[in-house]
Order: sequence, then structure tokens, then C-alpha cells
Amino acid sequence: MEKILPKQEWSVALRINHWVMATSIFILIATGLYIARPFTVAHGETVNKFFMGNVRFVHLLFGVILMFIFIQRVYLAFFSRFHADWKDFFAWTKLGNFWKQIKFYTLISKEPPAHTHLYGPLQSLAYAGLLFMLFLMVVTGLILTGAGYHGGLLRFVYSILRPVETLLGGLVMVRYFHHVLMWCFILFIVVHVYMAFWYDIILKEGTISSMVSGRVFRRSH
Amino acid sequence: MGIINDDGYRKVIDRQYREMLAQCKTHMDEVERTLPEPIEDFQLLLKERGVSRRNFIKWTAVMTGALMLPPMFRPMVARAAENFSRLPVVWLHFAECTGCSESLLRTSYPNIDSILLDTISLEYHETLMAAAGDQAEQNLEKALHDFPGKFICVIEGALPTGLDGKYLTLGPKGKTGLELAKEVTSKAAAVVCIGSCSAFGNVQAARPNPTDAKSISEALNIKTVNIAGCPPNPINFVGTVLHYLMFGALPALDNLGRPVWAYGKRIHDYCERRPHYDAGEYVEEWGDEGAKKGWCLYKMGCKGPYTYANCGRIRFNDAISWPIMGGHGCMGCTESGFWDTMAPLEKPVSQAGIGVVGGEHTIDKIGIALTGLTVAGIAAHAGLSAFRHGKCDKGE
Repeated sequence: MEKILPKQEWSVALRINHWVMATSIFILIATGLYIARPFTVAHGETVNKFFMGNVRFVHLLFGVILMFIFIQRVYLAFFSRFHADWKDFFAWTKLGNFWKQIKFYTLISKEPPAHTHLYGPLQSLAYAGLLFMLFLMVVTGLILTGAGYHGGLLRFVYSILRPVETLLGGLVMVRYFHHVLMWCFILFIVVHVYMAFWYDIILKEGTISSMVSGRVFRRSH
Repeated sequence: MGIINDDGYRKVIDRQYREMLAQCKTHMDEVERTLPEPIEDFQLLLKERGVSRRNFIKWTAVMTGALMLPPMFRPMVARAAENFSRLPVVWLHFAECTGCSESLLRTSYPNIDSILLDTISLEYHETLMAAAGDQAEQNLEKALHDFPGKFICVIEGALPTGLDGKYLTLGPKGKTGLELAKEVTSKAAAVVCIGSCSAFGNVQAARPNPTDAKSISEALNIKTVNIAGCPPNPINFVGTVLHYLMFGALPALDNLGRPVWAYGKRIHDYCERRPHYDAGEYVEEWGDEGAKKGWCLYKMGCKGPYTYANCGRIRFNDAISWPIMGGHGCMGCTESGFWDTMAPLEKPVSQAGIGVVGGEHTIDKIGIALTGLTVAGIAAHAGLSAFRHGKCDKGE
């Protein structure tokens, strides 16, 4: 007889990390787009207005939150009490599975590849890429922020990162990479959300709810 | 920061400055001993040009402040100014427009910076010297012979390195710029690159760079002081030379070789229109209401947020105005490769077309197109999935 058993897949820390990261990224994209292409706040006296200032504050605040969330995610990958998943980021090294996964995604085969790691082979590549993108985003963001601060911790961080700015070709190029990376994030989100729903519908394991409840439901025969 | 009010900290700082002052005095004594007498008496010259003693003292205060030194260094700045013309200078011109020399020498009335530059002991300056041909060449050789390791080599202009440097030949002997630069800089005490051409290559090195022009530091693989700007502010050059006279050493430089005292902060950080930026008040079109009210020029392509320079504090033309005060955005001329990275000059960088791949398309256009393609792909995949996996369910 077929049984459906719940399985704890995501720890509380990881779920909080996921949703804080998602919220931060959405807010950062919205505020970032305004900073790149602002509209004029026409009404009122200059002295009473601080719209760009406030948008920048929110952007920097969530940028710093994203930085700590990134650090927490890397920490969890190595030192989580429940499942340190750093090895799962190398699921793509199993080439047989990799091929099966591509066939499954392109609808050539109806059989999903064996569940050897926490992530599928393509998923592991995408998530490793996301972490790398986050790293680049945080570094370029710190440079852009630090350039405007002449004291405190940000200035200290900026003085360390200044060679990176020179390497990339000045602040204007740092801004450019920051902007291009934003679009990489948007593409990632579109595909990520679709794939989550797709899995939920095709395999019926509760993929979407698992990021809230932490459990997936596996069939066993 | 609380630490600055701390007495112990103050004492340490004060002691460091006193030590610096003593060092400065020793060095000035040495300068007066070893370098040739000034040709003209500077104080007399100031009187002749109608600059009062009071104005000169005010100027020393400004210069001391600009160099980020405490007021106790004012007498030293005055002394360095008096000895300014002792320092032998060889001024070379390569691939450039002479705009930097023009900017340094032209003023509506003689201010102290321009008088200093008038009295500077120019051993060789291709635009200003009276000598021509062989005679000019002799002047250069004499300077190299008389002051080896003592003169300052000021360079204006980039070095074309294509065709072995033959895109630029000068002088009666037809030397290439590369040869001349190598010869002179090898004997100079310091190499000061004035203007963005010699500092970073500027427009000559912009894509596609047909002559393979390079900055002095890149072409010769030496360390240079880069007084960036197109043109740079005379004060930044005068201050750097004063610093060299006072301490016998070049001022602290940033990653791109620019003196930190002048290029330590961005245009954006000290912009008089900055409050309008934070308020969200932008000029949308030349001559609109916002422009009349002096709003922020960010949307008109101001590159102040990416540009390190002190233009807003020092200003140009006898401190009358500077670009942003005049109503046009900063174009980022003190940054390396600004023709390529800061273009288009009157639009924000977010609206720049992307080079080879994108043609005239902006990042945002490409991003939107890619997202659209992805969504279309997803829709197709979803449809096919429903067909394939849906049938499967019925089959079961």
C-alpha cells in the first residue's frame, strides 16, 4: 500500500533565512530601481522633503540585512545543527543524475532522478550561483555605500574594498555591475518561483508549503 | 566620535604635528641651502602685482586648510611659497590640447596661485619658453645636467605607444614621446602628471584608441602623482608642489595616484545641490522649473556620485564657479577611463547603451527582454508539462 510520510526538510533557521532574504531582495529591487531612475517629488518645500534620502535609507538598511542573511546562510551551510548542507551544493558532480534531471525538466522523461542530495543537480548549481551573486552584490553594495561615508565602520570596510573598486574601473563600473546583478536576481526569482510551483504540481510533495512548514511529503511503497 | 574629545588622543596628535613641523623646518632649511636662489623676490613680486600682505596671509590659511594641515603650518606654507621658484621644473607636453597649461595660467586678475605659477622656475616648457629648435633642446639638456634627481618633471598629455611611439614625435631630433619621457623621468625627483591625459590616458585612450595611447604610469611603468581633471584645478597642482617643498615628500596618494587631500572625497559628498538629491528634486529637462530653482542634476547625467574631486570646494576661475554651480552636471573627468565609463555625458549612466553586445540598448531594456523571454519560456514549459504529465494521470 502507498503511504505518504512527512519528512522534515528545512530547519527553522533556514526557513527564516529564506523569507528574510526573499523580502530583502524584493525591497532592494524596488528601492534600487528608484535610485537608478528616480522621479521628481514636485510638491512641497525642499526642507520638508527627504524622499530619495528615505529610499536610500531603506535600501542601505535592507542591504545590510541581506549581508548578514548571506553570512548566516553560509554559516548554516557549514555549521547547521540539523543538516549542514555544504555538500549538497555539489550535487551537480553526479553526472548521471545531471543528465536525468535535464531529461526530466525538458519533459523527455517522466522519471525524476534519484533523490541523493537535498538539492537536485541543476538546483545545486543555481543555488551555488545565487550565493555567489549575493556575495558580489554585497561587495559592490558596500563599495557604493562606503564611498559616501567618511567615518565609522562603513569607511573602514570601504578602505579595505577600495582596490576592488579600482580593479573594476571606478565607482561608475561598480554601479554598473550592481545594476546588472539585479537583473540576474530577477531572472533567478522568476525561474525559482516557477520551478517550485512546477515541482509542487508534478511530484505533489508539498514543495511550496515546505518552505513554511519545513516538511515535504514523500510517497513510499 | 568620542575619541577625538579625549585629552590623551589630542596630546598624541599635537605631538605628531609638532614633530611634522620640526621636520618641515629642517627640510625648508635644506631647500634654502641646496637649491638655487629664487630669480625674483616673491614678496616684491606680490607688491608689484597688487596683492597685499593681508591677502597673502589669507591665501596661506586657505592653502593650509586645503592641504588638511593645522593652522600652525601657515608660516611654513608662506615660506614654501617664497621658495616656490627655487624648485626646478621641467614641463613636458605629449598627446594633449594644452588646456591644462591654459587653465593654470589664465586668470582674470593675478591671484597668488597664478603668480606662483608665473614665477615657477621652468627650465623647459614647450608652450611658454622663448627658445626654439636646438636652443630649446639645449635648455632641456642643461636642466637634466644641472639638477639630476632634483627637478620635478611635470607631464601634460598621454603617450601613444602604437608603432613604437611614432604617432608622437617632437623636437628637432625627432624623438618619440616615449623616448623623451623615459629620458627625463629617469632623472626626475618626482613625476607629476597634470591632467587626465597623462594621469589616465583620457580621450586619446578612449575606445577604440587607434594610437594605443596610455597614461604615463602605464606606458613607462613608473609611479606618478596624478593631478587628475580635464583640466585640473591649479590649486591641486600648487598644493602638491608646496607639500613637496615643505616635506621633501609627495602627499599621500589614493589607489589611482591622486593626492588624497584633493581627491579624497566625491563631488556628490560636498555638492551644494545635494539636499535636492536627497529630497527627490531633479532637473528633468534643460531650462525647466527645476533647473531654475537649482535642483539636482542627477537625471541630467551628473556623474558627481562616482567622481572623486574637490571642484565644489575649491571651484574654478578665481573661485567664481564650477560646472554644477553653472547648471551642468559633473562629467567625471577625474576618474580613469571616463570617456568610456561615464558616457553619455548628459544622461544618467543607467541609461548608457551597452558596448558590443547591446548596441544602443540599456541594461534595463536587455533585462526586461530577457525576463520576457524567460516568462514566455516558462509559459511554453507549463503548457507542455500539463500536456505530458496531465495525460499520464489519466493513464493511471
